[in-house]
Amino acid sequence: MDVAAPPIGQARWPVVRRMARDPGVIGGMILLVVIVGAVLAAPLVTGFDPYRSSILLRLKPMLYRGHLLGTDELGRDMLARLLYGGRITLLVGFAPVLVASAIGGTLGLIAGYFGGGVNMAIMRVMDVFYAFPSVLLAVALSGALGGGVQNAVVALALVFIAPICRVAESATTEVRHLDFVAAARASGAGHGAILRVHVIGHMIGPVVVYASGLCSLSIVLAAGLSFLGLGVRPPEPDWGLMLSALRQAVYVAPVNAALPGVAIFLTSLAFNLVSDGLRDAMAVRS
Amino acid sequence: MRRIIACLLASLLVVPARAESVLRVAMTAGDIPIVIGQADQGYEGFRFVSYNLYDSLVAWDLASADRASGIVPGLALSWTPDPADSTRWILKLRAGVHWHDGTDFTADDVLWNFGRLMDPAAPQFNAGQFADAKTRLPDYKAIEKIDDHTVAIITKGPNAMLPYQLAFLLMVSPAQYNKVGSWEAFAKAPVGTGPYRFDRLVPRERLELVANTDYWNKARIPHQDRLVLYPMPEATTRAAALLSGQVNWIEAPAPDTIDKLRGSGFQIVTNAYPHIWSYELSFQENSPFRDIRVRRAANLAVDRAGLKELLGGMMIESYGNVTRDHPWYGKPSFEIKFDPDAARALMKQAGYDKQHPAKVKIAISTAGSGQMQPLPMNEFVQQNLNDVGFDVSFDVMDWNALIDLMRGTAIGPVARRNADVAMNFSRNTQDPFGAICRFIQTSQFGSSGSNWGGFSDPEIDRVCDAATHEFDPEKQSALFARAHAMMVDQAVMVWIAHDVNPRALSPKLHGFIQAKNWFQDLTPVSVDP
Amino acid sequence: MLRAAGLRLLAVIPIVLGVTMICFVLMFVAPGDPIQTLLPDNASPEVIALLRHHYGLDRPLPVQYLVWLGHLLQGDLGTSIGTGRPVAGELGAAIGNTAIIAIGAAIIGFSIGIGCGLLAGVHRGGWIDRIASAFALCGLSVPQYWLGIVLVILFSVTLNWLPAMGMGPRGLSWHWQELRNLVMPIATLSLIPAGIVTRITRDRVAELLRQDFVRTLRAQGLAGHAILRHVLKNAAPPILAVMGLQLGYLFGGSILVETVFNWPGVGFLMSNAILRRDQPMLQGTILVLALGFVFLNLLVDLLQSGIDPRMRRG
Repeated sequence: MDVAAPPIGQARWPVVRRMARDPGVIGGMILLVVIVGAVLAAPLVTGFDPYRSSILLRLKPMLYRGHLLGTDELGRDMLARLLYGGRITLLVGFAPVLVASAIGGTLGLIAGYFGGGVNMAIMRVMDVFYAFPSVLLAVALSGALGGGVQNAVVALALVFIAPICRVAESATTEVRHLDFVAAARASGAGHGAILRVHVIGHMIGPVVVYASGLCSLSIVLAAGLSFLGLGVRPPEPDWGLMLSALRQAVYVAPVNAALPGVAIFLTSLAFNLVSDGLRDAMAVRS
Repeated sequence: MRRIIACLLASLLVVPARAESVLRVAMTAGDIPIVIGQADQGYEGFRFVSYNLYDSLVAWDLASADRASGIVPGLALSWTPDPADSTRWILKLRAGVHWHDGTDFTADDVLWNFGRLMDPAAPQFNAGQFADAKTRLPDYKAIEKIDDHTVAIITKGPNAMLPYQLAFLLMVSPAQYNKVGSWEAFAKAPVGTGPYRFDRLVPRERLELVANTDYWNKARIPHQDRLVLYPMPEATTRAAALLSGQVNWIEAPAPDTIDKLRGSGFQIVTNAYPHIWSYELSFQENSPFRDIRVRRAANLAVDRAGLKELLGGMMIESYGNVTRDHPWYGKPSFEIKFDPDAARALMKQAGYDKQHPAKVKIAISTAGSGQMQPLPMNEFVQQNLNDVGFDVSFDVMDWNALIDLMRGTAIGPVARRNADVAMNFSRNTQDPFGAICRFIQTSQFGSSGSNWGGFSDPEIDRVCDAATHEFDPEKQSALFARAHAMMVDQAVMVWIAHDVNPRALSPKLHGFIQAKNWFQDLTPVSVDP
Repeated sequence: MLRAAGLRLLAVIPIVLGVTMICFVLMFVAPGDPIQTLLPDNASPEVIALLRHHYGLDRPLPVQYLVWLGHLLQGDLGTSIGTGRPVAGELGAAIGNTAIIAIGAAIIGFSIGIGCGLLAGVHRGGWIDRIASAFALCGLSVPQYWLGIVLVILFSVTLNWLPAMGMGPRGLSWHWQELRNLVMPIATLSLIPAGIVTRITRDRVAELLRQDFVRTLRAQGLAGHAILRHVLKNAAPPILAVMGLQLGYLFGGSILVETVFNWPGVGFLMSNAILRRDQPMLQGTILVLALGFVFLNLLVDLLQSGIDPRMRRG
């Protein structure tokens, strides 16, 4: 690794350029843009109300009377529910990663920068959270907090704080011992300035790469919690919830039953493609 | 060579032992219910475990699919109020009954069981069993032995409901308990008097019972050799297990699979049973339901036939706590039907319309015992109500949270925090007090009663009081019917559905009669090889 | 080596204590109460209070924790409020059932992963690599609970080849009729470890093949399989670490797949316990799983340093 801290702005563009050459990233990006775009522009894509049910239209197959993807167990339009539901699923998948990055990143930064007792205190607590497999911890936390969007976000954020904190801590610890930090400290710069100018730039890369990798897991887990009845509450549409409700209908409408899972899978795949590309592009640096 | 032929011939001559006939039932419970008497897992535990291993002093009449199911003699041959003391019932016990271990059933056994269920000082006392038993028979005071086959039960006040309450208390073998020494050990080898004996139990997987060929009631000796119970909480799992032949009886198939099952030759059996799926209303300050016009309008707004279609026919339209053909229904003047125009008119009178709807928040659960298909059903009713001038929103919670809300009443912390003015909590209406008066008597408002919303009407209180103190069964029945008719006139609840307890049975099963009861008799079921 | 292992074991103690505390606190944040779900809907407050007292739920939290910890130290996980049976017994049976599918999935997933990873790493950049990498990516991205449902739709509903769910009415045996029940849960569970192990193996092998010592070996005229043996030995520690983690995830994460297949393992036990607010049961389950995970990690660390002395930490 270079001894001098490269200015942040310059370091980023080559990453973007490298990513733009990666077909995996391009594919992932396109998929992601399509999914997020469609979900945000749901009212433009479909005219159906995701809550309006009809007994006569229950579990109809694809393309039935304008219902592009058929209808669900209450006769509600599948496409509309997938799109509007995607908003919630993406939110519950994405928000915890953001929250955990902010909290975990800060904690890791503090632990890594100050070292010693502070490091001990923070990292040993993280070790305890780290002792749980992620699915187990997510299920246990949301089981304890009770269902609902808010609680699912809190539970998942708690799951991700410990690993992100570890990544941030080790990246920060690495920088701390480098000459330019010592030099800055010798020249009398305050902690705030050193952190801002020298440390965060180094720490942020690994954290972003790691967090981007968590997005896919987070989406799958968020939908999984709803699937278990621990996440989003009905009648709110959510992919995991839809999967769980339609599971009763595998004998009658297997295609409809499988559809919400396809949405989860594609989103998770897109996040993974982009995150892989980001990792590859950033890794070239060292 | 000759020997081989001889062997083959010999093997042909040996008549194969008759294959054991096995009834394999998939329950909706998540685990095997408790096997030491009073079961858990709601009434399903009583249905499949308690009433098969054990008997109660008073039994449910499960022999007919047509008449409303009442009570019949069980281990007690008769029960009569003591003419000299209205707090005392005399019970004559059945002679010639044997426990599964061969010992005789006597009055001492009954006394010992009441110790186990009711007396914290008794060495055989069990807190879990007590909690259930005490809830069934709240005003128990004491029990006395009169002779070897007669006992007297003393209650705190005059209690005409005692026979019904006794039907929930199971008698287990004191000899076996004394032999094994603890309830944990008893749970591994339970002994009762019931039509089945315990064989083995694998937690979360299965409970195996075998026919008790010495059962005292010769008419109820099981027609199958073995009964195996599996916990299968997922409806899809149960359907798959039935289709693949893993089991030959499933409880509560999902409505969407019923056509498929029927098409594959399975028998779908249903019947009314004492269950209501309704909205219990709040009568507190913040509730629009204080206005009888609003309550009546809600009852007129619900399209019960449409809901029935949604459930593939698997429900009965509800117009009261019991069905209209039931002796306790009575003769209300308010006729409940689907009439949205009349509902809109009533709402208008009460000051609500589409522009100024009555905002109501209803607590519902995502699943739970007896809740049927809570989400689609509630969403359906929500549309019905919104069409006539309500603005219904749901406070969706899981089953435990709803139980909390239910116990806390409409003025409890949960209901107040969420501003819920109604709840969708399915109830059993097995006995007349439990079916009617516990929901409407002023004294039942509070954490130990079921008058959730705080309904109060002095006239209804008087009738209910008279009913619970009337020892003549016919007069008592008439009084309960009067109370019920008044309850319907007051539109105390929004009545929506009665479950029909659908079951799917393999075509190889014969002889099952689905009684109009939460409990069922499995003994007449025979299984073709 | 033994000293290092001893020290690591000591370091686990505060983690374990922390884990027990989290388990305990979790249960008391939870809304609802195990007693409430146990009783009929018209139970009186006196009855509820008596039962709460009986289960010790009326004592202050720290006292409850210490009592629980005390029992735990004696190897007693308590008694399930829901079933009245000892938690340890219930848990033992459930873990056994989960182990069947988790270990099955580990064996299959790891074998596929190492095989695919090796092929991809050796043929880096070729079509084999592309296919293997795509497979790995899908394995990583697929929601297991959905894959389970899709398999059920395909093999049970449509083709009717395999039983949709459960363990079979007679429990497990070495009979094909019963073993069929294992096929789909194991297949579903094995995909993620297969994907992850494919990736790490491929990356490590490809990286090592580019390194100087391999070039030297090749220049010395060593045969292909001999070089591969060297490479594998060097690639082993990180792959082992990943496999150890994955095995832990298979146990701890089986709840979703067990729900789909109605498999009577720990996941099933846990969702029941959550549903019924069965505190002793849930605490015990989480605790045992988390502890297993901690010790698995420890074991992997020790194994790694056994294989590769450079990995030993001071």
